[in-house]
Parts: sequence; structure tokens; C-alpha cells
Amino acid sequence: MKTNFQSPQQFFRQRRLRLGIVLAILLVIYGVSMVLVNFQTLASLMQVPAGLIWLFKNFIPTERSISYLGPILYQLWRTLIVAVSSTICASLLGLILAILGAKTTSPLPGLRLVIRFGASLLRNIPVVAWAMILLFSFKQSDFTGFLALFFMTLGYLTRAFTETIEDLDGEKLQALQAVGANYFQCVFCGVLPEVASTLTSWVLYMIENNLRDATLVGILTGTGVGFLFNHYFKSFRYDAAGLIVLLIAVLVICLELTSTQIRRAIA
Amino acid sequence: MLKVIQLDKTYGQNKHSLKDVNFTAQPGEVTAIIGPSGAGKTTILRSVNQLIRDNGGKILLDDQDIRQANKSELRKIRHHIGMIFQNYNLISPLTALENVLHGRLGAKSTFAGIFGMYSTDEKQEALALLNEVGLGEYAYQRCDQLSGGQQQRVGIARALMQHPKMILCDEPIASLDPKSTKIVMDILRQLAKEKQLIILINLHQIDIALEYADHIVGINSGEIVFEGPSQAVDDQVLQKIYRQADQPKQAVTANEN
Repeated sequence: MKTNFQSPQQFFRQRRLRLGIVLAILLVIYGVSMVLVNFQTLASLMQVPAGLIWLFKNFIPTERSISYLGPILYQLWRTLIVAVSSTICASLLGLILAILGAKTTSPLPGLRLVIRFGASLLRNIPVVAWAMILLFSFKQSDFTGFLALFFMTLGYLTRAFTETIEDLDGEKLQALQAVGANYFQCVFCGVLPEVASTLTSWVLYMIENNLRDATLVGILTGTGVGFLFNHYFKSFRYDAAGLIVLLIAVLVICLELTSTQIRRAIA
Repeated sequence: MLKVIQLDKTYGQNKHSLKDVNFTAQPGEVTAIIGPSGAGKTTILRSVNQLIRDNGGKILLDDQDIRQANKSELRKIRHHIGMIFQNYNLISPLTALENVLHGRLGAKSTFAGIFGMYSTDEKQEALALLNEVGLGEYAYQRCDQLSGGQQQRVGIARALMQHPKMILCDEPIASLDPKSTKIVMDILRQLAKEKQLIILINLHQIDIALEYADHIVGINSGEIVFEGPSQAVDDQVLQKIYRQADQPKQAVTANEN
């Protein structure tokens, strides 16, 4: 109301002032936290180059590390399988839960709350915590890793799918109802075609994400390429560990490129 | 014949959206409901196929009361009532042909509907209907690649696929340019005459309503203030239909769009 009587100059002066205040607050927070943890910005920055040089000297794969290529590729393959299978299983179940839980398609309002709460519980427990909890029941195996990723992904995708479905214009479903379509026909002929491409993007994104997480989980569950990394690292075979990091990076980049292609094709 | 008798709708407590609404619409005629925004045009139209549940009255389509129908009867009745919308409401990633075939869903088993199992006859008919509305060459195009006017014609073809007795049109031309408006309205008038359909249209363009409709229903603040042939509509009638609501409260009862 007041702004109606402002001149443009006044308006933009206020804008700049507000931005200035925000920046000042951020600087103060940085300064205070630095003092609290006894962190010296300059001294730490100086150490970075030396650290990097040490890293490159020790972790660059050498000719010797080529001999490890066989087992590494095998474990990398297994890790990829765990990541993909857990994501696919979670997305199938997540889709069903999302349809039951989305405002526009939920058959029971009570169910919505339960699904919402369950999904956010699953999602907010970090995957590492999942792995450690599940270790007790399922021991060190690929299946433990699979389950940990499955639960976290299920929570994440249920939430994402629910929101995608809720973004859909409810009138489109009303149009199908007006035709005489029943609930299942509305869902399969209306909702699914409308959201399919967005959901596929989410699944592809989660596969990328889960490959990274699967290596981490592998360290804990003693499986896959994560375990191998941990093993080489602890036995001072840094070059082999470096090779693993390199190969994971290559695989992730390949995966990202393919999924970008797929996304473009279905958009 | 569609007969609406003493239709009543309240939102919340005491907020009357429709009060004692009575009118009839004949096969072979275009009936237009006109009135100011928020008068209750959309509520009437959506009560007719029970997308909105009203609070009292009768809606007789060929002497069958739609309001008394149970779930599966309602589905059968809806199958014979086509509906087109201001925003077309097609399933946009699907092709025009698939959207037209959706008109058969009301007659299909759940299973056949879900898996899109349509007979050759149905597919041929859908294609013929697209040709009828002048969109044969766009049959395999995604609907979000069609223009507004074209999407509305796909909507009409979808309604025709239902073998309707009646087509409800909720502001069908509000988002269209004059040229598409003429095409769509010409098609609707032709359908009423040739197929003896009941065409019930919500309009806020008076000139279009007077040009195309045979029968006019005027509504103001949820009450019918005029019903009669379009020839009988003069300035006095229009003033009555479009008079300002004298109580400011009534503007709040608006529940359109």
C-alpha cells in the first residue's frame, strides 16, 4: 500500500539497502563461526596446494594398478546393478503409493496422511543410517545395500511423484469423469500419460544419485566397489583406490549423459 | 429433452449459489445460459452431469432423474452426455485420436479401458469424427502441439464419440480467437440441427449467444431472471440479466472457475 506512493529512486534505494543488510549479516555469521571453531581462513587456503599435490602423487593410477582392473570392474558392475534394481523397485512401489496419497487421486483422505508421514520418515533417515540399522538384521551382503537404498529412494520418490501428480490440473480428470470413466480408467488413461515423462526424469535422476550412494553404502555393508575402495585404501594401495575413484567418475558421467539423452527423447 | 426443476445449491451455510432454478432445453436447439461472472452458470452446467453435487431439485433427461442415479447408473448416463471446456481438458501428451477414443471409456470395462483395447470399428469411427471436425490430418499429433481452436474441436470429437444425447459446453470459446470461435460455434449449431442433440452452452459473449442460440436462459445471482427464445431478448431483458448485484455479499458467492 505504502509502496504506491514511492518514487522509483526510493524504491531501488530500499532494494539496495536490503541487499546490503543481508550481505552484512552473512559476513558476521561467517566471522563468528570462524572464531568459534578456531578456523584460520588464510592459513587453511595456503595448505590446499600442498594437499592437492600429495593427493595427485599418491592416487594417480600407475601401470601396476592396471592389474586390479578385473576385480574393480566386476565390483563396479555389481554396484551399478544394486543401484538400478533398488531404484526401479522403489519407483514401482512409490508410484502406487503416490497415486493413493496424492490429493487429486487419493481414494481415502486418511490414507494420504499415513503415506505422507511414512514417506517423510523414510526420506529423512540418511542412507548411511539405513545401512547401519539394516546391517544387524541382514548382515554384510548386497541385499543390505539394496534395502538401504530402496527405503531411502522409496521415501524420496513417493514424495516427488505425489507432488507431480498434485500439480496436474484436476479439470482434466473431471473431463474424463464426465465421459463416464471410473477411477482406474481416470488414473491409467489420464493421470499416468500426463505425468509419465516427469516421473521418468525423477527415476533417472535417482539412478544417478543411487550409484554414488551405493558406493558409500558398500563401504559399510562390505560389498561392491565401495568395499574394494576401502580395502585398497586401508592396505595403502592408493593407486588402485585412485583408479576406483576415476572409474566411478567415468561411470557416473556416462550415466548422466545417457539419462540426459533419454530425457530429451521423451520430453 | 432436458428439464431442470427447482435446482438448489448452497456452498457452506446460507451461501446460495443456485436458488430455485427451472428451465428446459430441447433437442435440436442450442440453449445458451448467459449472465454476469459468478452468477452460477458453471454450477448449473456441472450439476447437470453431477460433477458438482447440488442440494435439491430434479434434473430430468428424457424423464430420468440424474440426481437419483447410483454410481454405475450415473456412469451410464454420463456416457451419453458429452462435455467440452474452456481449457479443452484433453490429455495433452496423447494423440488427438487417443483423446477422441477416450469418449468410449464410459462404455468399456475397467480392464479394456486401462489397456486401451478399442475395436477396429471404434478406431475407424474416431478417425471419421476427426475428419468431420476437419482435423483428420492431425489424428496422430500430440494434443499439446495443436492450437486452441484445434484442441477444442478434438474435444467436440471426443464428446461425439460418446454418441451423446446432449453436449454441455462450459465457456467453450472464452479462450479462442474470433475465427476459431466461429468454426466451433458453427459446428455446435450444426450438431444440434443434424443430430437432434441438446446443446447447452455457458456464454459470456452476448452477441454470440444471440447469434447462435435458439433458446436463452438468463441468470443473475443464482436465480433465473429470463427464459425464452433469443428473439425475445431486448435491452430491457439484458439489463435485468446483467444488473449489478445490489448487495456486495453476493459478489462473494461467486464460485466460477
